[in-house]
Amino acid sequence: MSTSTSFVIEVNELTKHFGSKCALDKVSFTIDQGHTIALVGPNGAGKTTLFSILCGFLRADSGAVRVLGHTPGDSSLFGVLSALPQDAQLDPRFSVGKQLTFYGQLQGLSRAQAQHETARVLEQVDLSNQINAKASELSHGMRKRICIAQALIGKPRIVLLDEATAGLDPINAKAIRTLVADLSKDMTFILSSHDLSELERLCDTVLYLEQGKLTSHQRYGQNGSDTAYLTLQVKQPDSQMQSHIARLDGVKHVRQSQPDEFVIEYDTHQVALDIALLELCHHHGWVYKQLINGNTLENQLFATP
Amino acid sequence: MSLKRIMLLSQFELTRLFATKRGWLALAAFIMVWLMILRYPIYHSVSVLNSPEFSDIAVQIAGSVGLYSLARWPEAELSVYWIIALFSFPVFTLFVSADQTVEDSKRGTLRFLTLRATRSEIMLGRFAGQALILLALILASALATWVLMLTRDTALAFSGLGKLTSIIAFLVLTTLPFIALMSLLNLLASSARLSIIYASLLFTVGNLLIGYLVSHIELADWLYYLLPGVHISSIAPWYNIDWHAIVIPLLQSLALLSAAYWLMKRKDL
Repeated sequence: MSTSTSFVIEVNELTKHFGSKCALDKVSFTIDQGHTIALVGPNGAGKTTLFSILCGFLRADSGAVRVLGHTPGDSSLFGVLSALPQDAQLDPRFSVGKQLTFYGQLQGLSRAQAQHETARVLEQVDLSNQINAKASELSHGMRKRICIAQALIGKPRIVLLDEATAGLDPINAKAIRTLVADLSKDMTFILSSHDLSELERLCDTVLYLEQGKLTSHQRYGQNGSDTAYLTLQVKQPDSQMQSHIARLDGVKHVRQSQPDEFVIEYDTHQVALDIALLELCHHHGWVYKQLINGNTLENQLFATP
Repeated sequence: MSLKRIMLLSQFELTRLFATKRGWLALAAFIMVWLMILRYPIYHSVSVLNSPEFSDIAVQIAGSVGLYSLARWPEAELSVYWIIALFSFPVFTLFVSADQTVEDSKRGTLRFLTLRATRSEIMLGRFAGQALILLALILASALATWVLMLTRDTALAFSGLGKLTSIIAFLVLTTLPFIALMSLLNLLASSARLSIIYASLLFTVGNLLIGYLVSHIELADWLYYLLPGVHISSIAPWYNIDWHAIVIPLLQSLALLSAAYWLMKRKDL
């Protein structure tokens, strides 16, 4: 498919109202090929609205959206853009296999190809044995995984997953995260979730929406400046810790982000700060829980001075 | 617009009736009802129409309600079938095609579909699927009537086939605007049941309202053409059927589908 733009998604001044409520207020951003994007924000921030407009389920009041150079809902995007819409369910009267095969056929696959594709995506979500089950016979978690499977039919280039792991048990949530991590080499994922640690593991770019406004659009892990971060979580913090850490060579600033957590901003030229920090813990008998190389997504988004 | 996707969507609609438990139950109910209609109203009416004692009276009664031409058909089963089917299939259509997009929309299934087919394709595919279902049901009931007629007189086989074809064509044509109406109401209502209620209100309150308007403004008579089935009473006698009988339901279907398309394009899913 030919596209007139290098961006996978371009959103410009996007606005959407529901009655008097402004769900999206002049949101603008671009997404490049090959990135995994986290869409974060509190309830009612406009995440699902943004997803729905990108998929063509909703029409924007104003602004422009281009997905691979096409307007959302354009037939050129069939089989190219896929999604797990929040709360959408398959028809309970038909078997999972029949519906997924039908979706494959609508995407242009032959019946045999669609059947093969159905078997493949069900295998990916570990539900091959449910191919003949009706959607109404499945548990909530299974239905969610089946809906994720439908989003993978035909190996689309862009996949939008709205709360993909919400309601899944830890084992299946982990399996979905692993699946997304594996597939993100070939697909551009946009994930919405309230689980920041999950997004942190999977995504390299964050879109933060709050009250319909895009308040943050940043990449992490690719900071080219001379400042870096370490996040130290300890078991029993004491009042002297912050000052002790601040005295280490190369440390610019130490902030207590949680009762048991310190975010240490340091000069990247000080390459062995992590070693020095662990030695400091050992020297004072501080028991640490975790030392994270970087700033957590939670601290980036909700940093308190 | 892709014809292939429209065909796939309409074929899937067929499986809704012919490959689901609920569909089989509906089909079984339909067969039972038509067996009863064939066995009692049609079979007995034909006996009356053909009996030397009552035929003249029956023809006179039929003539008094404008059905003189029908009462003179040698294929009496088909004439009775025509009247029963002409008035029952439109009502039946409202129920059969009550869920075209509304329940899928409520459940979110329509979102999965709109990632793979345009809204117009979905709407036309569902409409075509319902039309095919109605065609199959009309065909089955009409053929059963034709077979019943053959059990009485095999000599009527060929003359009956000609009439049967015309009857099926007119019945299908008559049901089309009713299916299109349900396509439209599915976009206005929040459930299939509510769509049926809206349709019932349209045909009762709507009719009364137009009647009231006509009593004050003569030109309001044209408003009747907004209601599907407005041509039924004119084609029922099977006498002097002109091009209006074909054009009116086709134009109504086109207008209703256009309105549905306009709404569908703007609907939030």
